[in-house]
Amino acid sequence: MNPTHDTSRRDWLTQALGLLSVAAAPSLAFANNAAHIVIVGGGVGGATAAKYLKLFNPQLRVTVIEKNPVYVRPYGSSEVLNQHVKMDDLNVNYDTLKSRYGIEFVFDTVTGLDPQARVISTLGKKKIGYDRLIVSPGIQLTYNAYAGYSEAVANQSVPSGWIPGQQTALLAKQLQGMRQGGTFVLAAPPNPYRCPPGPYERAALMTEWFAKHNPTAKVIIVDPKDSFVTDETMMLGWNRLYNFNLPDDYVKKMSAEVELIQHSKPSMLSWVRGKDGGRTLKIDAKNMRIETEGETIKADVINVIPPMKAGQVAMTLGLADSSGFCPVERRTFASTLVPNVYVIGDASIADAMPKSGFSANTQAKVVARAIVEELAGKTAPEPLWENTCYALAGKDYGLFVADVFKIQADGKIGRINGKARYLPLNATPAQIKLGARYQQAWLRTFTADCFA
Amino acid sequence: MNANNSKARTWPRGTRRSVVLWSLLLAISATAVASLTARALAQTAAAGAVSAAPAPSAPVLASTMAHSCAACHGTNGQLGDESFAPLAGMPAGQFVKTMTDFREGRRPATLMGHVAKGFSDEDLKGMGEFFAAQTALGNAAGAQR
Repeated sequence: MNPTHDTSRRDWLTQALGLLSVAAAPSLAFANNAAHIVIVGGGVGGATAAKYLKLFNPQLRVTVIEKNPVYVRPYGSSEVLNQHVKMDDLNVNYDTLKSRYGIEFVFDTVTGLDPQARVISTLGKKKIGYDRLIVSPGIQLTYNAYAGYSEAVANQSVPSGWIPGQQTALLAKQLQGMRQGGTFVLAAPPNPYRCPPGPYERAALMTEWFAKHNPTAKVIIVDPKDSFVTDETMMLGWNRLYNFNLPDDYVKKMSAEVELIQHSKPSMLSWVRGKDGGRTLKIDAKNMRIETEGETIKADVINVIPPMKAGQVAMTLGLADSSGFCPVERRTFASTLVPNVYVIGDASIADAMPKSGFSANTQAKVVARAIVEELAGKTAPEPLWENTCYALAGKDYGLFVADVFKIQADGKIGRINGKARYLPLNATPAQIKLGARYQQAWLRTFTADCFA
Repeated sequence: MNANNSKARTWPRGTRRSVVLWSLLLAISATAVASLTARALAQTAAAGAVSAAPAPSAPVLASTMAHSCAACHGTNGQLGDESFAPLAGMPAGQFVKTMTDFREGRRPATLMGHVAKGFSDEDLKGMGEFFAAQTALGNAAGAQR
């Protein structure tokens, strides 16, 4: 299982070309050991798949087609907003995947697919043949889901930043420069979306930052949902850190297990649920107003996290269904719509698995193994996946969700590791602080498992 | 609720010492585990006879299970200077005991207790053997990673 190998990339090419001259049909030229696996998308799912394909079978030729020469990691990117890290800290390069594993990279945009000939075409007019294709396109944001909102508006004045980049920098600038006593509204997305605790972590980190730098500021989360993943443990943190009073039904549910503080002072932070009119209807960027089912709020900074669907390339290649996501065979994540193509990560329909980097990482390993076995004429082994999402209610307040998944009797992916998924409500201060330290460590170890 | 309030406001403070203790407790040091397990046992009322292992289901390759640990514990369990336990080269018995203790609530955890509940005795044995067969990263390699 040694990840390093002695053969240089040049040797690889020679070897591959030698085989090519022997074999007949181009699409089958790299049969078995020397098969060519092409991966569309160099994010967490694609990078992990590329690396583990090489670990499982160094003879394979692996090519990643990716738009951007540098990956900007979405996980942990809200920490740019509270000045914990800088934009540049989000950058991850592909150097190690190239040098240590001999993975080839093509920086280009995929425009089409011929599933019979097994050829991918690109904007740069390349035709790239494959034996198996893995598509890991992530998500796209449906900006037009709300009246008055668009990608142009998001780039200019009401950023989303859920896919990190220039909008993240804009949002950071707006939040850090917000007038004293100003109002920050965060519009949370409907299910399903990338990084379930993420919007609430973002709101919490900014509340903590404002408490120090802008103590009369307000943070309002408007939400089409009535609950969210990690809600109890996240709001327990808010209760302790930000004078936040939990909604009555949560108080009723939780007070048997943990003592909640009834604050008389209003909190800087509030959460307007779907049943209380929290669903966003319209963005008025010019007047910096957000209209929800319940009210119109005049804000100083608005962060919209719009509804999501599979990344555009999944649509282009015909891999998504009417849900906006990509149906797959659970055992292998093979597309049910296009043969010899696999879809992993946020774009795939994976039942109980959340749309998270960790999910994409373990899906990538399962797919890599399935492809290696199938190319060797064997059946894909029984899969198992994990997910761990750490989240912060404050910089020293860590919480999490932890899942192990297998295929269930009904053929769908389900959790197998007992009922408890979250930080216990009676967790000690030390456990909570450790969770925050582990969150920071995870950002490094996870990046290394995917990209190094 | 005044008493509660003031107590809660100071709540996040003064935890450094206990964090150190917990780090020790949760660190990989076998001696720390051994000496503190008794205390953990005493603290855990739930440590009953019923195992927290999952219901039997289709067997999964040990390597498949082991690779699901890598996002925190390093590819093939190989990890440099990080907060998590490097698993490569860990004796199989130590891995199995640690994970079983996590699973049965005998060892305090943040999330490893939850994760361990996804694996049967047989699963843990296979994963333990997988990691025992991996080469631990040396200090130099660790610093490099």
